[in-house]
Amino acid sequence: MTQSFRLENVGLINRNKKISFKFNGKKYYGYEGDTLASALIANGVHLIGRSFKYHRPRGFFGAGVDEPYAIVQLYRNGETEPNIKATEQELFDGLVATSVNCWPSVKFDIGAINNFLKIFLPAGFYYKTFMWPKSFWYKVYEPFIRKAAGLGVASIKHDKERYEHKYEYCDLLIAGSGPSGLASAYAAAKNGARVILAEEKSRFGGTLLTSDVNIGNKSGKEWAEGIIAELTEMPNVTIKNRSQVFGYYDHNMLVMSERISDHLPKTKKFHPKQRLWYIRAKEVLISAGSIERPIVFGNNDTPGVMLSSAAKEYLKVYGVLVGKKPLIFTNNDSGYETAIEFKKNGIDPIILDTRENPQSEIVDDAKELGINIKFSYVVVAAQGYKKVKSADIAKISVNKEELGEIENIKCDCICVSGFWTPTIHLASQSGNKTKFNENIDAFVPGKSKQNETTLGAANGVYTLDETLKSSFETAHELSKKITNNDNKISFPNVIEKKSTTHDKFWCVPLPKGKNYKRFLDFQNDVAVSDIEIALKEGYRSIEHVKRYTTLGMATDQGKTSNLNGLQLVSKIENKVVPAVGHTTFRPPYSPVSIGAIVGREVGKHSKPTRKSPMHNWHEQNNAVFVDAGVWLRPRYYKIGDENLFEASKREAKNVRTNVGVCDVTTLGKIDIKGPDAGELLNRVYTNAWLKLPVGKARYGVMLREDGIVMDDGTTTRISENHYHMTTTTAQAANVLSHLEYYLQLVWPELNVNVVSTTEQWAGAAIAGPKSRDLLQKLFPSCDVSKEGLPFMGYMEGDLFGVKARIFRISFSGELAYEVNVESDNGNFMWEKIIEVGQAFKIQPYGTEALSTLRIEMGHVAGSELDGRTIPYDNSLEGLVSKKKDFIGKRSLTKEAFTAEDRQKVVGVVPLDKKTSIPEGSHLVKDSNAPLPNPKLGFISASCWSVEYDNPFSLAILKDGKNMIGKKLFVMSPLKNKVIPVEIVSSHYVDPKGERVRS
Amino acid sequence: MRSQNEFSYGGDATVKRPELNKDISDQEWNDFVYNRKSLRGKHWELWQHLSGCRQWIKVERDTATHEIFNTLKANEDISQ
Amino acid sequence: MQKYSIFNLVKNALSNHENWDLAWKDPTPKKEYDVVIIGGGGHGLATAYYLAKEHNITNVAIIEKGWIGGGNVGRNTTIIRSNYMYDDNALFSEFGMDLWRSMSQDLNYNVMFSPRGIINLAHSDAQMNIYARRGNSMRLNGIDAVLLNREQVKEIIPMADFSENVRFPIFGGLMQPSAGTARHDAVAWGYARQADSMGVDIIQNCEVVGFDVSNGKIKGVRTSRGDISAKKIGLCVAGSTNILAEKLNMTLPIETHLLQACVSEPVKPVLDRVVTFGAGHFYISQSDKGEMVMGGDLDGYNSYAQRGNLPTLQHVLTEGIAMMPFLSKLKMLRTWGGIMDMSMDGSPIIDKTHIEGLYLNCGWCYGGFKATPASGWTFAHTIAQDRVHKLNSGYSLNRFNTGHLLDEKGLGTRTWIS
Repeated sequence: MTQSFRLENVGLINRNKKISFKFNGKKYYGYEGDTLASALIANGVHLIGRSFKYHRPRGFFGAGVDEPYAIVQLYRNGETEPNIKATEQELFDGLVATSVNCWPSVKFDIGAINNFLKIFLPAGFYYKTFMWPKSFWYKVYEPFIRKAAGLGVASIKHDKERYEHKYEYCDLLIAGSGPSGLASAYAAAKNGARVILAEEKSRFGGTLLTSDVNIGNKSGKEWAEGIIAELTEMPNVTIKNRSQVFGYYDHNMLVMSERISDHLPKTKKFHPKQRLWYIRAKEVLISAGSIERPIVFGNNDTPGVMLSSAAKEYLKVYGVLVGKKPLIFTNNDSGYETAIEFKKNGIDPIILDTRENPQSEIVDDAKELGINIKFSYVVVAAQGYKKVKSADIAKISVNKEELGEIENIKCDCICVSGFWTPTIHLASQSGNKTKFNENIDAFVPGKSKQNETTLGAANGVYTLDETLKSSFETAHELSKKITNNDNKISFPNVIEKKSTTHDKFWCVPLPKGKNYKRFLDFQNDVAVSDIEIALKEGYRSIEHVKRYTTLGMATDQGKTSNLNGLQLVSKIENKVVPAVGHTTFRPPYSPVSIGAIVGREVGKHSKPTRKSPMHNWHEQNNAVFVDAGVWLRPRYYKIGDENLFEASKREAKNVRTNVGVCDVTTLGKIDIKGPDAGELLNRVYTNAWLKLPVGKARYGVMLREDGIVMDDGTTTRISENHYHMTTTTAQAANVLSHLEYYLQLVWPELNVNVVSTTEQWAGAAIAGPKSRDLLQKLFPSCDVSKEGLPFMGYMEGDLFGVKARIFRISFSGELAYEVNVESDNGNFMWEKIIEVGQAFKIQPYGTEALSTLRIEMGHVAGSELDGRTIPYDNSLEGLVSKKKDFIGKRSLTKEAFTAEDRQKVVGVVPLDKKTSIPEGSHLVKDSNAPLPNPKLGFISASCWSVEYDNPFSLAILKDGKNMIGKKLFVMSPLKNKVIPVEIVSSHYVDPKGERVRS
Repeated sequence: MRSQNEFSYGGDATVKRPELNKDISDQEWNDFVYNRKSLRGKHWELWQHLSGCRQWIKVERDTATHEIFNTLKANEDISQ
Repeated sequence: MQKYSIFNLVKNALSNHENWDLAWKDPTPKKEYDVVIIGGGGHGLATAYYLAKEHNITNVAIIEKGWIGGGNVGRNTTIIRSNYMYDDNALFSEFGMDLWRSMSQDLNYNVMFSPRGIINLAHSDAQMNIYARRGNSMRLNGIDAVLLNREQVKEIIPMADFSENVRFPIFGGLMQPSAGTARHDAVAWGYARQADSMGVDIIQNCEVVGFDVSNGKIKGVRTSRGDISAKKIGLCVAGSTNILAEKLNMTLPIETHLLQACVSEPVKPVLDRVVTFGAGHFYISQSDKGEMVMGGDLDGYNSYAQRGNLPTLQHVLTEGIAMMPFLSKLKMLRTWGGIMDMSMDGSPIIDKTHIEGLYLNCGWCYGGFKATPASGWTFAHTIAQDRVHKLNSGYSLNRFNTGHLLDEKGLGTRTWIS
């Protein structure tokens, strides 16, 4: 197909590079430098999709980020992306796109039946119906509505693309590369400031690319190119196209998304698709320009109705005519500029100007060119379904309320200009309270809140001369403040056509007897009548109007609709626009890919993975790992076809009969040094610490101030003023922070330093009746006898030339030791233990066997210390000092904590000694009681006791201390289990703790 | 200027832990453990430079605008 | 009152929708009311509705600083559930579930309650056990719960990450099939419309500037629209609780924090359940419009800003992609923040106070939306009868003195850690 709407010799596209692409299955051609939108229009394609609610035909409305209509499904490099704006998507070879939200096709869409039912579907209709019968909402109506809603289709395939993050600092961040952006970047850069200039489009220059102006004897475009060329060479300047500053956050932190590969057929190797920039700027210059706003009239959503500035951009940048019989409908001089461009290219436009008799250079130019201008005229309605075919026009009275006789004129597009709305999003996001500017009928930024300044059109300044002047000056002043330089650049001579004031007219009244839909929000199908209904029903706050009608809530976030919505509300409510107020602007300015926000932290990298120095050994020895916080720990070591249960039982049994070794590197370790270290421990732990001798370890429990157990572990006195604390894996970071809090803020008088040494030491727990014999072989020169290294003793040793710490502490309730060496020697230590241990039938054991061992010994751990229990609940009252004060002690006097029937940890054994008890089950008195069945407690941990060869569990049970010997039921309705059980002591094996002391 | 990600929050900096071994009322203890003013506007609060020097600091920040007015070291007293 | 129905819709369509009544009026405040509810959010509006409906107290005003439904009822992620472990929370929420199921009909306003089910994903056997504890507790309380294994989860939400390249593999999940979502704004508007029709005055743009208390008794409230006397006053202001408490010289176990949420651009239906991530804090559902509605962690510092920062959202969305990698290709459309009244044990307070005639409803943390009907119902009862109902007896202010805490998460008083 030929590009029959493409002009010759006009535009900035590369005509030497023809590009083929497909839309809705049909092949077309465009040029390098096209957007999908410009290429489709060049081919005469205007029907691009269907609207959200009524499924009305949709074409192109704008030429960039403000586009409400032209949304497509994009296929690129074997993947698909929904909701791509055709006006933003640059054309690449082999691009494939399809329409969204229509079935079976965009030309014949079944959903369009809604268009005929539209009188029954006003704003909020769904709140008033679909309520009967009761179950039908979820089962019938809602699925239907869900299917009809949504735009594109999300692929559930994993994203193969890569996204990166970059952190940057600068003196000035300049958002937008139009006249004010370029001028301020140039002035600041010449004054030595570090500048980042961001442009959302692929081309720099903004309106300079399309407007007929002269700066310093150059056309606007040439001047822009000259500035960009100079900036590119400057080392203190970063200029980025395809980069949108979308969010203005606290403390002058701005975030920009850079599209690196979206315009290419596929992402280059090692390149990201997009890059997210976190930019901390000393000063921010917002030169985001303005967006043309529509005039509202009947059927103003018909394909072919578009913004006049967009028509001009398609013509001047892409060499594309949006129509060959254009009608320009304007209330200001901007429409004339578009008309003049048409005329210059051999097309005869007709201008309808709502004004009676405007006097300006531009109007005179148009007259001179012989353009047909009708003053005091309006478009009443567009005619045509899938494309504008003609327009009903009429003369309008001076008071803008009476329409003259309707005439119909042929046209194939209607270019609308209802004046300009400054893009105040970033300023508003920064916290700037915007103010209403009567002269331009729009909000502009007010007093700066953060270090931000808005310039040019974004600030409601619409003359080039003034824009350039203020930009040069502001950028100079700001950069001078930062760099102390004072290099002023000379101000160029500016020639621009003078324009006159616009007409504050924005909505064409309905002619008598006609009920045209006049749309405000084109994507969400919100019409004037919808706003009227909302207000009539009392939804009067602008936020109520927005939420009730969905005005401005589509993917364009109301860039072309919000202000007209406000005007309408203010008119009906008889309030001035600022009294109605606008809804809040929030980031992002336009939608940002979630992949870009997340960056590289995906898949395995979504959180760090920590491995012990012995990890490779575990892997080589068939360890099956389990996540323990961010750590990976061996859960069991698989031999042959063993499952978890068999392997852990074997490992646990081997600990009870021979000796086992377990990697305990992941335990938190904190080095505590200083003369007051003992005092600190005494305040942090619930038990007494002042008399712990050097070379001894002690078990301790620490509380939060609310009395709840925070963590437990052993601390060893290495030397006079030096202690080594261990914490659980999960709480390591919290405990360190907790200690630092008290040392720095509460008790700064204590002379103590703490530092994490978790990574410094590799740890191996050696447990079992033969552990002492093994230890003696590992450390032949140490006396590790019962007397030489008693329970809770500590010594240093030499492990085949490696310095080691030896602790006689036990996690498993067995005779046990823990050996620590510096991390680099961890693997050496482990291999030596295994090697020497062969003679004692050593086996490594994982966390599952460790759990079994500690459960049958009644040692409480994570599932009992779950942030809800006090020491008494865990039978740790022996560790709670009555004499001294400690963190959280005052809370232990609370009524609930001292109640007679307070919960307590107990042991649970099934009466049949066979049935395993699932963890997370509950204990009840009567398994047949009606619901809700009162729960007495829950099963916190279960194991298969290797000692007694039957199931055993721990439970936290109400009135636990008086329940020993009672018979209850364990219930797990989730697993359909009811198990009669007996409550026993939690210390099921070796209740007196003789083994650890043996 | 450091990234917010390096810091962790520690709550109201004006809450004083009662001295050890001091006989205090339930009300005083609960005011320390549970009760907070948490008002709109200027707020002295604790932050720890967790992924950094690990110092706790006191920060005067506006809870409505997130503006930061003042910072103090852990051992410096809030004057107001 | 005009009844909403398909017939009325057609009838009004034929008269060009020009005859719809006001959903609620815009009255000038009277000098005196039997009850004044401060806060025109979901809970306040529901309280007024149940005062009128259940207790026949209609001389009631709701006073709202801004516009009704502008707080958290209009800023949440619309999830409704009763999957709690503790009895007080579970029975309260399940009572609420019953109210949700008939709300559209009760209010004659389609709140679009949609019991699509919620799945809490588990990423280890230990977590499966923690969920089992909660699920079993729910079942023993008469609430539906199902423990799903990995294959069952995969069948329901195949778009979750079941690949090899996953940091936290899915082991299974806990599902409450009867949980779901509702249209949040409609809840506020539906309650407002019915309350209004029964005689409640809904007074917007009316800010509380002080209280009139004498001899330990509440007498009235001073507002930007004049003084209003009231025999009883109910405080129902969520994130602004601390501000009003200060005017009453009360210090509460509440901190005000910021929670952000976001939605993606709308896409065709792909996810028909509510799903939460178990190796972090992320939840997601797809709205009827097609947007993915997502939320997660608090920003983590006291805030009244209703605007947050990107690092928190980045963190939340990182967990989102870790759970459902396909989200990467969607675009974030809109973000917003709400201010949360975080209580020191994560559970709410609905109680009388030491001031006679002053009642307190706060501490909803990020779970306020689902509680709207039960909170309104029990608060109305507490105000009308001047005593707490059995359903909210666990939500006493005094529990922080006695230690009868309801800490579902076991995180204690560091409310900003979620």
